[in-house]
Amino acid sequence: MLYTFKGGIHIKEYKLTAAEPVQRLPAPARVRIPLSQHIGAPCTPTVSVGDTVDKGQMIGDVAQGLGCPVHATVSGRVSAIEEVFTPAGRKMRRIVIENDGEDRLCPDIAPLGRPVCDITPQECVEAVRLAGVSGMGGATFPTYAKISSALGKVDKLIINCAECEPFITADHRLMLEEPRSVINGAELLASVFGTEGAMIAIENNKLDAAQALRDALGENGNIHIKIMKTKYPQGDERQLIYALTGKELPAGKLPSDLGCVIFNVETCVNIYRAVNERMPLIERIVTVSGDCVSAPKNVLAPIGTSISELISFCGGFKRKPEKLIIGGPMMGVAQWDPDTPVTKGTNAVLAFSEELCGKADTRYACLHCGKCVRGCPMHLMPLYLAQYASIHDYVMCEKFSIMSCVECGSCTYVCPGKVPIVQLIRMGKARIREEAAAAAAAKQASELRPAEKETEKKPVRQ
Amino acid sequence: MNNEYNGLLTLSPSPHLKSGDSIQTVMRDVLIALAPAFVWSIVAFGVMAAVLTALSVALCVFFEAAYQLLTKQKVTVSDLSAAVTGVLLAFNLPSSCAWWVLIPGAFFAIVIVKQLFGGIGKNVVNPAIAARIFIFVSWPSQLSVFKEPMSDAVSSATPLASAKTGIISAEYSALDSFLGFIPGCIGEVSALCLLLGFAYLLVRRVISWHIPAAFVGTVALISFIFPQAGSRTEYLAVSVLSGGLLLGAVFMATDYVTSPVTSGGKLIFGVGCGLLTVMIRFFGAYPEGVSFAIMIMNLLVWYIDRLTAPRPFGRIRERRGKKE
Repeated sequence: MLYTFKGGIHIKEYKLTAAEPVQRLPAPARVRIPLSQHIGAPCTPTVSVGDTVDKGQMIGDVAQGLGCPVHATVSGRVSAIEEVFTPAGRKMRRIVIENDGEDRLCPDIAPLGRPVCDITPQECVEAVRLAGVSGMGGATFPTYAKISSALGKVDKLIINCAECEPFITADHRLMLEEPRSVINGAELLASVFGTEGAMIAIENNKLDAAQALRDALGENGNIHIKIMKTKYPQGDERQLIYALTGKELPAGKLPSDLGCVIFNVETCVNIYRAVNERMPLIERIVTVSGDCVSAPKNVLAPIGTSISELISFCGGFKRKPEKLIIGGPMMGVAQWDPDTPVTKGTNAVLAFSEELCGKADTRYACLHCGKCVRGCPMHLMPLYLAQYASIHDYVMCEKFSIMSCVECGSCTYVCPGKVPIVQLIRMGKARIREEAAAAAAAKQASELRPAEKETEKKPVRQ
Repeated sequence: MNNEYNGLLTLSPSPHLKSGDSIQTVMRDVLIALAPAFVWSIVAFGVMAAVLTALSVALCVFFEAAYQLLTKQKVTVSDLSAAVTGVLLAFNLPSSCAWWVLIPGAFFAIVIVKQLFGGIGKNVVNPAIAARIFIFVSWPSQLSVFKEPMSDAVSSATPLASAKTGIISAEYSALDSFLGFIPGCIGEVSALCLLLGFAYLLVRRVISWHIPAAFVGTVALISFIFPQAGSRTEYLAVSVLSGGLLLGAVFMATDYVTSPVTSGGKLIFGVGCGLLTVMIRFFGAYPEGVSFAIMIMNLLVWYIDRLTAPRPFGRIRERRGKKE
């Protein structure tokens, strides 16, 4: 039996690069390393313009609060610390390093020198923090924080290999080419959390990867390979937990509240590297694909490589691209700048033609067909959420549980009327958050000034 | 080397992929599903059936385009929804019906029921059904005379209408009704052709089984338990196979715009349609109740949707008596 959840949609897979071995990108002449590659506070640079840095050297860190350091991914000279706009319109700083071609590894990086199973959970948390590992499936939550917050609370360790978005094959190739590293990571995490074993969750469109992992398992009977139905969004942690354990993650709770902790498979491999080799996260596998790329590939690229360089490595464009996307087609972010660098969360770079991504439909109509309701993994009624959001009726939006929406885009994908459902829902959620924040601020202000509050009340009493 | 592509890029929020479905593909599937019944209507009632259907489609498309041009909107007749309305409107009229009733009928369906409410997706009741009722109450004589299939003879009663008077017509067997050798409206006589269309819609996943099954099932069950004429099985066959039940259950009650979105809601809707149909047939003045039943249930869709809204994932209902 295949593990799965209720709802969700089947998308044409477009896994063009499933058979393409990972190729290492020659180190680029220049890398641009964003100081904010994770959820939390941005890093403060620990180097200045003109400094010479080694590959793997820490160049930015977060002094306090949530966040993890960033490292130089080539050896060379810091040529600038520049401020740029993200596609969301926010400002972000990044460190530009000119590669000197010497490929000098930072001397601080030395292997652990003892078996990894001997390390304490605290040592693991510290090693993972120093290596700057953050979630590589796209969410980019600092991994050390996830480990330390879940320590002692979990009895189920899940390695997420669902890779449910179309086009992306980075995790698939990693499992095929380095199954032992995946198992090493899972074993390490199991010993850190003290769980009996681990579950490796794979969709049934990657049975070859599942077999590779089984072969690599050897004698370890505590690690279980779980085959799930290929369905979007199977890789969302709520759906994943439900598929494997039958438990619903209550709104506002963390997986650790259900005794679960989930790591993306590439994150898992990099946790092992961080502990065993003390190797910081300076490169990752990126699927470069889409109908505009001449030769789609899986590329092992240093963090900070520009996406245009990746596309050149894959033979450039074969037709006019309409959109450049970082991440998957369902939840990725369209980019305006071909110099945008690869970050720790970049699992794919996609170039889509107008034909594939479609022109924005200016006229749309809800047919009330119910496809969005059947497809919603959160069991919402997206059509009504979109309808009420578009007329700014946020009371009704909340009655229909708008805040439970995970913005996976399934509703928008299936909609025959081409209603921008998830976009309208996002707008509604943003407004509700703004109003809640404004109300909280107003409440705080009125509590600070009790005298004014009294005068406000008076007319009501009269 | 850096900027291999200097052209303009589109920035828009995800998702960046969409399925190939559109209103046009959905409506095209519905038209394909209606094709067997259309072919049969020509076989049974001659070329006049095709003429009326074509005229009805042309009028519906014309009124939609004219309204949209007059109100300076984008003309959307290429989504084929007006064409579907046109076919269904004609299918609900007898082939002996005067052609000119289609003019007020199509106008009522497209302009009054659909466009004045905001166009596709915004209408509260099914346009073809409302127009059929409009014609039925305005020009009742046009809808009370039916042609015999395969002949020029005129019959004044469908098998269902005779059953209303307490007689199971000996002229038509259940097999005749199933295949379509009975008098009736253009598109409703052949159960076989309508079921073929139903099967196509199911395979293409355009509709689900819930509404037709609940609708027909309810009518069949009650007709079997309380036969109004003849034996239980005879009355069951007449009530299911004659009159617009299958056409209504498969093609009109399942209209997306005017039916619930949840599976549970669809079952409630179907059962409601079935109950109302039977009540009208048993106690009303008309032999036929399908159109009225569907239109009444159309009005309740929003409440049925609210009633059957699924429990959101992760929102576990709090137990009552928490205060204790």
